[in-house]
Amino acid sequence: MSVLRPMDKLPGLNTATILLVGTEDALLQQLADSMLKEDCASELKVHLANSLPLPSSVTRPRIDLIVFVINLHSKHSLRNVEESLHHVDATFFLGKVSFLVTGAGRESHCSIHRSTVVKLAHTYRSPLLFCDLEIEDFRATMAQRLVRMLQICAGHVPGVSALNLLSLLRSSENPSLEDL
Amino acid sequence: VNQQDLDPDSTTDVEDVTDAEEELIKKCEEMWKDMEECQNKLSLVGTETLTDSNAQLSLLIMQVKCLTAELSQWQKETPEMIPLNEEVLVTLGKEEFQKLRHDLELVLSTIKSKNEKLKEDLEREQKWLDEQQQILESLNVVHSELKQQVVTFSESRVFNELKTKMRDIKEYKEKLLVTLGEFLEDHFPLPDRSVKKKKKNTQESMAQLITLHEILEILLNRLFDVPHDPYVKISDSFWPPYIELLLRNGIALRHPEDPTRIRLEAFHQ
Repeated sequence: MSVLRPMDKLPGLNTATILLVGTEDALLQQLADSMLKEDCASELKVHLANSLPLPSSVTRPRIDLIVFVINLHSKHSLRNVEESLHHVDATFFLGKVSFLVTGAGRESHCSIHRSTVVKLAHTYRSPLLFCDLEIEDFRATMAQRLVRMLQICAGHVPGVSALNLLSLLRSSENPSLEDL
Repeated sequence: VNQQDLDPDSTTDVEDVTDAEEELIKKCEEMWKDMEECQNKLSLVGTETLTDSNAQLSLLIMQVKCLTAELSQWQKETPEMIPLNEEVLVTLGKEEFQKLRHDLELVLSTIKSKNEKLKEDLEREQKWLDEQQQILESLNVVHSELKQQVVTFSESRVFNELKTKMRDIKEYKEKLLVTLGEFLEDHFPLPDRSVKKKKKNTQESMAQLITLHEILEILLNRLFDVPHDPYVKISDSFWPPYIELLLRNGIALRHPEDPTRIRLEAFHQ
């Protein structure tokens, strides 16, 4: 059970669960609060974790979306995420994983280069979102976005699957041919 | 008989309702069973983790497979409807109508408030326009009045004033002259010719004497005709005592170098 699998349980009734993984506890908590404030037809559940694998002692519902939060100011958060990625089943990356980068606003404090995270997201074929989680308005907007994504990943939006969403989120700034 | 007729009707209604419910519940149960089957199948699939080097390729291959599968699923599938019996239709219809009504009410209230605001704006602008027009009218009236007055005044009034002034002055001048003449006649008459001189040999060539009035007239005219040389030569027609009178009272002045010439004192300067 150390590897996280997308369809390991039956879903809860009208429930959508998101897992936020990152070393920045305060930011994760604030993001979780913003998400729970959002108006949503489905019942939202937000789980927070510093890293994977998750402790197997806890019973948790089926996870619909994993968001890895990386802080550009700390190399530690990047390394943490890179290691956690090894505990995720490959099928999760079919639209149910997303990377969220914070701290890009204060260029002087950044110890990780932007292109590093871009490459990481590209390697794992997952969408990369930028947001300064410390600023309330940006956080609220990002929370809205994540709630919509979560609803789709949980299958609550008829006609759109997580994979469809992935194809739609293909960003234009992919470092394409050189890397391949 | 009627009661009996009613009763079977009501029971069929209840049956209809329960039928619809049961149908829906049955459908749900079927779907849940399908899901459980799928879940069982899924749990049999092994796990696979990725490393940075193989991630891209494996994921791309997986994505291709899954998208193809989804595509074929969409193509196979025909839209499945929930059982369309009366109850369901009525409920759905009610919901749709409620939503529609709510939206229309919103639109209505928005338009009403816009309408009111426009009316208020219109009233305000209308009032403002009326006031402005009134001001314009009154200004026009004042303007025309002033225009008239200016024209009339600057011409006739000044003209009339000047005329009256001139007339008055002329009258006054006449009066003064008449009064002066009378005064002079009364108090300074010409000497009597009939006064006989004792010494006959003193031939006083008594040219025609002129009155004091006339002497003054000559002096006056000379003063205003030739201001730079107001002197008049004393002629024989001037009666000497009167000349002395004029000189002694400062009415006339002698020429500083020529004793035979006198002038009128310039009282007006």
